[in-house]
Amino acid sequence: MPLPLYYFLTITAVNLLMSWALYLPYRMGHLHFIVVANMAISGYTAAFMVLSLQLPFWLALLAGFLLGALVGYIVALFIGDAPTFAVVIVGFTFIYITRTVIENTSAVGGTMGLFGLPNVGGSPAAHRWTILAILYGLVFLVGFLIHRFDRSQLGRAASAVFIDKDLTASLGIDIKKMGILLQTFSCTLAGGCGVLYGFIYKSFHLDYFTFHVIGILMTVIFVGGYTTLWGTVLAAPVLYGVPLLFPPEIASWRIVIYGALLILVLVLKPEGFITTRFVHTIGSYWSRKRRQPTLPNRRKENL
Amino acid sequence: MEVFIAQVINGLALGSIYVLLVTGFNLLLLVAMIIHFAYPQVVVFSMYIIWLVLGLTGNNLLLGALAGIASSILLNLISAPLFQKVMEKRAEVDINTTMVLSMGIGMIITDVLSHGFNKGHPIAFPETLAGGEAILRVGLISVLPGQVFSLVVGVVAVSSFFLLLYKTRPGRAFRAIAEDPNGARLVGIPLLRTGLESYALSGLLGGIIALLLSVLLGSASPGLGEQVAHKVLAVSIIAGLGNLVGGLVVGLFLGILEAIVQGYISGTWSNVIAFVVMLVIILAKPNGLFGLKL
Amino acid sequence: MKARLIVAGVLASMLFAAGPGLAQQPVAVNEWQVPFLNCLTGPIASIGAYLQWGAERAAADINQAGGIAGKPVKVTGIDTANDPQKGTVEMARIVKDGLVALGPVPEPVIMAAMPIAVENEMVSMTATTSYEYANKFFPWTVSWFPPISKRLPPVVEAWAKQFSDMKQVVQFIEPYGAWPGMAEAHVPGLKAAGVKVLSPIEVPSDAVTFGPLVVKALDQKPDGIIFACNAEKIAKIVKELKGRGWQKMNHLLVFNSGDDAALYTIGGEDINGVQVYNFINPGLDTPRWNAFKNAYMKDHNGMVPPSLSTHYYDALFMIKEAIEKTGVTGDPKKLKEERKKIADYCANVKDFQGLMFKWDMKDGVPTNKPLYIFEIESGKKKFVREVRPQ
Repeated sequence: MPLPLYYFLTITAVNLLMSWALYLPYRMGHLHFIVVANMAISGYTAAFMVLSLQLPFWLALLAGFLLGALVGYIVALFIGDAPTFAVVIVGFTFIYITRTVIENTSAVGGTMGLFGLPNVGGSPAAHRWTILAILYGLVFLVGFLIHRFDRSQLGRAASAVFIDKDLTASLGIDIKKMGILLQTFSCTLAGGCGVLYGFIYKSFHLDYFTFHVIGILMTVIFVGGYTTLWGTVLAAPVLYGVPLLFPPEIASWRIVIYGALLILVLVLKPEGFITTRFVHTIGSYWSRKRRQPTLPNRRKENL
Repeated sequence: MEVFIAQVINGLALGSIYVLLVTGFNLLLLVAMIIHFAYPQVVVFSMYIIWLVLGLTGNNLLLGALAGIASSILLNLISAPLFQKVMEKRAEVDINTTMVLSMGIGMIITDVLSHGFNKGHPIAFPETLAGGEAILRVGLISVLPGQVFSLVVGVVAVSSFFLLLYKTRPGRAFRAIAEDPNGARLVGIPLLRTGLESYALSGLLGGIIALLLSVLLGSASPGLGEQVAHKVLAVSIIAGLGNLVGGLVVGLFLGILEAIVQGYISGTWSNVIAFVVMLVIILAKPNGLFGLKL
Repeated sequence: MKARLIVAGVLASMLFAAGPGLAQQPVAVNEWQVPFLNCLTGPIASIGAYLQWGAERAAADINQAGGIAGKPVKVTGIDTANDPQKGTVEMARIVKDGLVALGPVPEPVIMAAMPIAVENEMVSMTATTSYEYANKFFPWTVSWFPPISKRLPPVVEAWAKQFSDMKQVVQFIEPYGAWPGMAEAHVPGLKAAGVKVLSPIEVPSDAVTFGPLVVKALDQKPDGIIFACNAEKIAKIVKELKGRGWQKMNHLLVFNSGDDAALYTIGGEDINGVQVYNFINPGLDTPRWNAFKNAYMKDHNGMVPPSLSTHYYDALFMIKEAIEKTGVTGDPKKLKEERKKIADYCANVKDFQGLMFKWDMKDGVPTNKPLYIFEIESGKKKFVREVRPQ
């Protein structure tokens, strides 16, 4: 596989998974920025396990997921049903805490970062295929789960919370439990992504996990569409890949283009390019096409 | 004791920066129901315009100030229809949509500044604007004219806007169109004109803040807005969204807290400690210490 | 027949006598393409701009003198926007056919993208990063700086020994990349000068005012201060110090990474007297350096070239030398072997004539680069002394 394609596919997968990690709590209206901190916490922990403790990658990956889940669950106990503002502040706080702790911990490289993560699977080619397989396995698994969630009673309840939290509570829906569930899942996913992200680069540096990442993920969700998972499936590869094809003179204005695109979409199509209605329309169209293929022949027979 | 007093004064100086930015932020919230996350970037843009005009006019302070105010008003008026379009179906503040929209605006401003001004290098304001001997110096205690001026203007701005918004007719009109445009129209408030006036007012404040920050900081860089944006949002949330007096108190408190932590504990942990304190407050009082004023 | 042999022999002798200049190595390219992974946008775009300038200036000078093995060289700036996501894809594109590259810049992109260069055994000159980063990717990059533990103590010791009244020093340290390590490396030098090292002052990356940090520093009653933070912050801290009565400006030392345009733009006259250590001596008077300096000042409104601006200039000349001296042809069929030739040459180059001075590389580490101490005066650096680490 060509190397540029490998990096494009893997980084797109991470961006997609992380966008989903933000998408899930946002179904209830929570901007759960703590997922960026989770990436860093789990990523650095896994790297430490592999480099310093000589533990296998698979164990480190599992630990990354579990650590993400643990952090997400504990925090969610406090903010599962908190107002959006509180959730935003929690996210910022954890990002600052994580960065400062890592900066001051020489065991994980401190400000220098961690180098020389080994290949998973022995050779560079095996490493690449393994990471790619894990990432796209996750994409399909998580995508399936979110798809099922969106069509379930839970998903409808989340949508109701997004629209009117008080009314939803009065209908007997336990908002806190739902918040805990979504936030924990989101943090679990982010933890695993953090580990995989570092193994793509075979290194960890604090600047991989900055507030800048929030900007990218928000753009993916809001431009792609935040009412359905398909929005991010479209936006993640396009927003990452298209600027790579720009000529240098235009590529240098990439951030301005992202910002302008974000504004345009919010103003003209606030729910993003891919909305629930659009997905239903496509779904109905395909169903109709499959059900009625022989209409013209029947008319001839009647005559 | 001398060190403690010096740090408190430093904290007040830092806090006055937060107070100024939070006041402008809260004003937009009160008159337009907007969470303008990129408000600090708008102010920094105005600082750059002031610098540019000062350079072109041989340090003419009046022209520089007017240019800064004009640019801030213009940016606000340009972004007004974008926010209004996004807000038109909602009767209450929508942190998500307006925050994301303002993030987009912030991304554009920061990138334009790093591309198009001074080849991306930080800018420095002339000594005549930014300088000045300390008006009080006793050992480590030092008080600069700019610090006093910023703090005083911050307090005056909060008081003035409080009076304007809550005790005058135009102020009530601004709040009315923000909270209930249809109701405001019914009682005869001209929506377009009042809306534009409210945006222009916050632009005016933004320009004044830009000028004060130019005096206080003496320099600016493209990333300056982003550096303070999180804290400005946090202060506003902790104080209570739209609460002008709360923003003043919490802004100064945050400045003093940061100064004390940097002075007695550690510089790199100051953000962590500040945010943890704010986190504890917001979990205990989700509507802010002083309550929402929307 | 005999006559033809004689003529052939005479011609061969003439060719041999003419030397290598005439009998140039066969080259398979019409133009040498050297991509430069640089941060042309983003928070340090201003630094990327002058790094690019230096590399393009080198290309212009090389082409004016006949190119590399007779063929022109072109440096193409590829923006990584300080984003590892972009840097990796760009490096992945380059390693397919590229013979050699410049960059990446800065450290997060180096960490993400250099493993790709290493895996594909292609040299990418990271000429602005510290040894501690470059060393991880040897031999596919070389370091422009000796290890900080070797290079910094002597210069700090030399600085401190200038002042007999300097008994204790405090450092302002920003937690970024190798800077805390550099601050740590200053300590042996201070101790060797008999100076007590006070508790360091940590400078938050997003600090906008510096009063609290300065008060904390001054409360320790230092006789001298060393700065290991970014240039803009240093300038503001110095102004704050001056505002609080600090007078011994030459008792303030700026580390080489802080010697950047922002220090002078923001510091203005307030940094007069402050001392700085660095690897380049702008006061050097050689035709080559004067030409570079004058060209830079012409293009940058009279601003003196920052120290890092020379690094990629030298890097491109080192690549030129490597290509010419090892007979690299640019033939795609020989890509792997020619990349190795360049790597081996650069790792142990002897007497490389840089823009400012000659130096040797031993296993990718410069062995005899001097350091200089300067005193700032009205935006210019006045030479104080040269320090050659042993």
